[in-house]
Formats: sequence, structure tokens, C-alpha cells
Amino acid sequence: MIRFPTAQLLRIVVIAAILLWSLAPIGLGVLTSLSTQTDAQAIPARWLPPHATLDSYRSLLGGTGDYRAGGTVSESGAFTHALWNSASITMLSTLAILCVAISAGYAFARLHFPGRGALFWAIVTTTVVPVFTVVLALFGLLADAHLIDRKLGLVLVFVSTTTPLAMWLVHNHVKQLPTEPEEAALLDGCTSWQAFWHVALPQMRSGIAALSAIVVLLVWGEFLIPLLLTSTNASKPVTVLIPEYIGKYTTNYPLLAAAGMLAMLPPTVVALVLNRHIRGMLSGSS
Amino acid sequence: MGLGLLKRQVDTGGVTSGRISRSVDVAAQEETWVGMLMVAPAVIITAALVIYPLAKGFQASLGSADASIGGQPRLVGLGNYGDVLRSSTARDAIVHTVIYVALAVTLELTLGLIVAVALHRAFRGRGIVLAILLLPWALPSVVSGVLWRRVFDPDSGLLNSALQQLHLVSHPHVWMASRGWALVFVALVHVWGVLPLVSLILIAGLQSIPEEVYSASAVDGATPLRQFRHITLPLLRPSIAVALTIGTVWAIKIFDEIYVLNGTALNTRSILMEVYNTTFINADFAHGTALALLLTAVTALLAAVYAVAFGRSPT
Repeated sequence: MIRFPTAQLLRIVVIAAILLWSLAPIGLGVLTSLSTQTDAQAIPARWLPPHATLDSYRSLLGGTGDYRAGGTVSESGAFTHALWNSASITMLSTLAILCVAISAGYAFARLHFPGRGALFWAIVTTTVVPVFTVVLALFGLLADAHLIDRKLGLVLVFVSTTTPLAMWLVHNHVKQLPTEPEEAALLDGCTSWQAFWHVALPQMRSGIAALSAIVVLLVWGEFLIPLLLTSTNASKPVTVLIPEYIGKYTTNYPLLAAAGMLAMLPPTVVALVLNRHIRGMLSGSS
Repeated sequence: MGLGLLKRQVDTGGVTSGRISRSVDVAAQEETWVGMLMVAPAVIITAALVIYPLAKGFQASLGSADASIGGQPRLVGLGNYGDVLRSSTARDAIVHTVIYVALAVTLELTLGLIVAVALHRAFRGRGIVLAILLLPWALPSVVSGVLWRRVFDPDSGLLNSALQQLHLVSHPHVWMASRGWALVFVALVHVWGVLPLVSLILIAGLQSIPEEVYSASAVDGATPLRQFRHITLPLLRPSIAVALTIGTVWAIKIFDEIYVLNGTALNTRSILMEVYNTTFINADFAHGTALALLLTAVTALLAAVYAVAFGRSPT
């Protein structure tokens, strides 16, 4: 076997490339966020910040109130409030999506009732509709209900646009679980609801963990929907606030990068802590 | 199987079969009710907040453009759709989007296959590598846009700096202003975020191929390259179909990365950006919605074509 060492070497090269490809942009972001504005604008670039500083983080979190550089003004407290908006919108939406999706996904996978197939496909098909199309169409309805620029309005839109996908993932997950425990419970005289609540639900723990993580990442990272539906800092999430730090002529990259790092922290932690579950569910979806 | 089963056996044991079928009926009826109640919230939400607005949007797309600014709506039928397809900015946006989708899907599948082949077998530290592989997907697309913007910035960008330090270019390039490079780089940033998902799907597909198939063909003298062509690729078809569908559906609605990298500039504008511009900047709801619905129809059509071509249900 002469080809074996070559194959082995190739694999090591590919793995090194994967690590570099995934981590290099994030590493650059960290370095930039620690630079001063002068070093970040230096030509040729200073890859490692010669004067590392936490100023950018300080001005974002502390809010100096008059952070002027490259035309960027960081209003005092605006960023922390946006973080709070993102967190509260994400938590509320995730909770609602989980309830609706788990209950429907389980019922479509296990219970028999008239119209099951047609309803299931009608809902799943809506996952190919670009969410923006829905939001565009929803805009009038939300305006009538005075839900524009309100966190509640955003939660409502996230629930309606994310539930179909979440439900489909739950459905696939339940299909992979053994049916025997619930059948035994039904023979024991449980109702279908009791079999779901007391027997099936505890078995779905890993799937629910993965689903929560995926929904959190989707909602936290969403940009276009809140861009359309929010206009003031009262309801803007971080994803909408960050592009506002991009200056028209020059950009304060340390500030921008620091904002990016803070905004990616929660999803990164979720992805790293639950990555085994997430991988299980994403790859199971094929 | 505890007391309950016993009780039911005692209940029905001595009685006629009519009683049994009735208790089965009761159970089935209960299942019907529970099932319908459990799906009700999802059905109501989808109907009221997705399907109904879409239908209303379709109605709006058939009306005249001045209806959205307070004018009397006039029915113009499919006229808005014709206008949209004749507009030069929309046509450019369609061309850009086709290029994004083609570039993104090609890169995702090629790189995804390489990653999957390298990572699907067990090795030390595989868990950590997979966790790191997943990271770009977890990042908000706005953040990945910000990270890459730093690379492509014309003044202090790292790409220009590196190329100049290596003496590959003499003066800094304004990458996002040139049409060719800008489209390629936008697609690249998009691929950075989606590749993890595509790779994971392909890894799962590779793991479902039994090892014996390979060892049997190796005995028959098949080279690794032939194995890949004649065993791996055919057996991977279902996973490739899913990856292809997800890759296309995500790339066709590309927006965030472009917005952060280059704003709504004409040379990189995608269909969804054109919709955004028409609807919210020019306040032309009718034409914006018409274009958005065209995009939706094309997306659904592509998903259906893949599903039929690969003999699988759409995602």
C-alpha cells in the first residue's frame, strides 16, 4: 500500500485548511477589535495590534456618549440595549416556536387524524418561501395592528416564519424514535396526550436541545426582518445596529469588529455547548 | 405493562366483541381530537401569518403602483410583473443572483465533498474539528459580513495589504466596485457561512454507506478514485439532493452579506435587495411584491425540480 501515506497527508492538509478557513476570519475580528483606530487604518496593515486596547469594547458597553471616529457615533447605552433587545426577542420567539413546533411535529409524525398529510405538506412547503416575501405581505397587517417597531411584532413574525422549518425538524426527529414506548403506554390505558407528555417528550430531550439551539441561532442572526420592522433603538436588535457603524467614507473597524465579537458571543456559546446535538439533528435531516 | 392493561383485559374479557370495537373507537376518536388540537396552533399561524398575507400580497401585485401611496387601486393584472421583468435594474439583479447561486452551489458542493471525505471517518480530535467547522454557520451573517468587510476594504483592507506586501499588485484595488470580483467575493462570504451545513449533511450521507461496499470493491481492484466515482457519488445522491436544495434556497435569497459588504450598490445587488429597494426605498409596494412573488415561484420550482430529479421529497 503505497498510497496510504499520501492519503493520510492529504487528509491532514485538508483538516488544517478547514481549521484555518473557519477560524481565520474570527481571529482577524478579535485582533481588529483590540486595535486602535490608527493601527487599523495603517498601510500596510498591522496584522497584530501593536497597542492592544479594550477601548472599543468599553465605548460599546460603557457608552462614552461621544465616541467620534470615522464618522461613527456610538450613542450611550444604545449597544447594550440592542443586545438586550436581541436576547429578549430571541428567548420569547424560541419559547413560542418550540411549543408550537414540538406539538405539531409530534402529532404529524405519530397521530392519525383526517387531513394529516395535506396539512403537513401545506406547512412544510412554506419553508421554500423566502421569509422576506412573507414579511412584505405581513407589513400592512402589522401596521394595522400597531406592531411595527415593537418587539412583540418581531416575535410574531419570527414565530410564523420559523415554525414550519422547526416543525419539520421535530417531525423527522420523532420519526427516528422507536414507537414501542408510546404503544405500551397506550395499552396501559394512557390517552394519546398522556403518551406524548409523559412518554415521548422525555425521549425527545436531545432533539429538543438541538432544536432550541438551531432556533436561537436563526432568530438571533436574522437581519432583514428586523431591518424592515424596526426603526428606533427601542426595538432594534444588534444585527440591525451593527451595520449602522459602517461609515460612509471611513469605517471605525475596531468598533465594528468589537460589536461583531459581542454579537457573535451568545450564538457561539450555544453552538459550542450544544454542537453534538446540533450536528445530530442537522445531519439527521437528510 | 402494568395494571392498566390487566384492567382493560378484565373489562373486555367476558363481554361481546362489540364492546371491544367500541373502546377501540373511543381511543381512535380521542387520538383524532388530540392530533387536531396539537397541530391547530401551527396550522392557524401558518394560515393566518404566512398563507393569507401571501395571498394578499398577490392581490396587491395585481394592482396599480399608486395604490400604496394612497391612490385608488386599479387592477392592472400581470402588468407589474411585465414592468419588473423589463426594468434594467431588476434584470441586473436577476443576473447577479443567478451568478451568486451558481457560484455558491458549485463551491459548497465541491468543498463540502472534500470536507466530508476528510472528516467522515473517526480520528483523534474529530469532535473538536467538527465543532470548529460548525462555527461560521453559527455566526450571524451580519457579523461574518463585518469580518470579511475588513478583508476587502479598499483603504485599509487586509487583502490589498497582503497582495501589496507580496508584490502581486502595485496599487490597492477597490474590490467591491469592480463587478466581477465583487460578485465572486460576495459569493465566497456566503459560502463561508453555509459550507458547514452542507458538509454536515454530506458527512452524514457518507457515514450511511456501509464499509463493506468499499472493502469488496477494493478486493476487486478498484482504485480510490474509481470507488469515489462509482460507489460514493451514486450512493450519496440523496444527501447531495438535500445539500443542493438547501444551498440553492439559501443563496437565492442572499441579502445580509451584500448589505454589509457593499450596501445596496447596483453592481452587487441581488433580487431580494432590488425588492427591498423597490418596496421600502421607492415605496412601490406593487412592483416590489410582484418581484418577490416571482422569486418565490422560481425558488419553489427549483426545489420541486430537484425533488423530482433526485426522486426525493422537497425540504
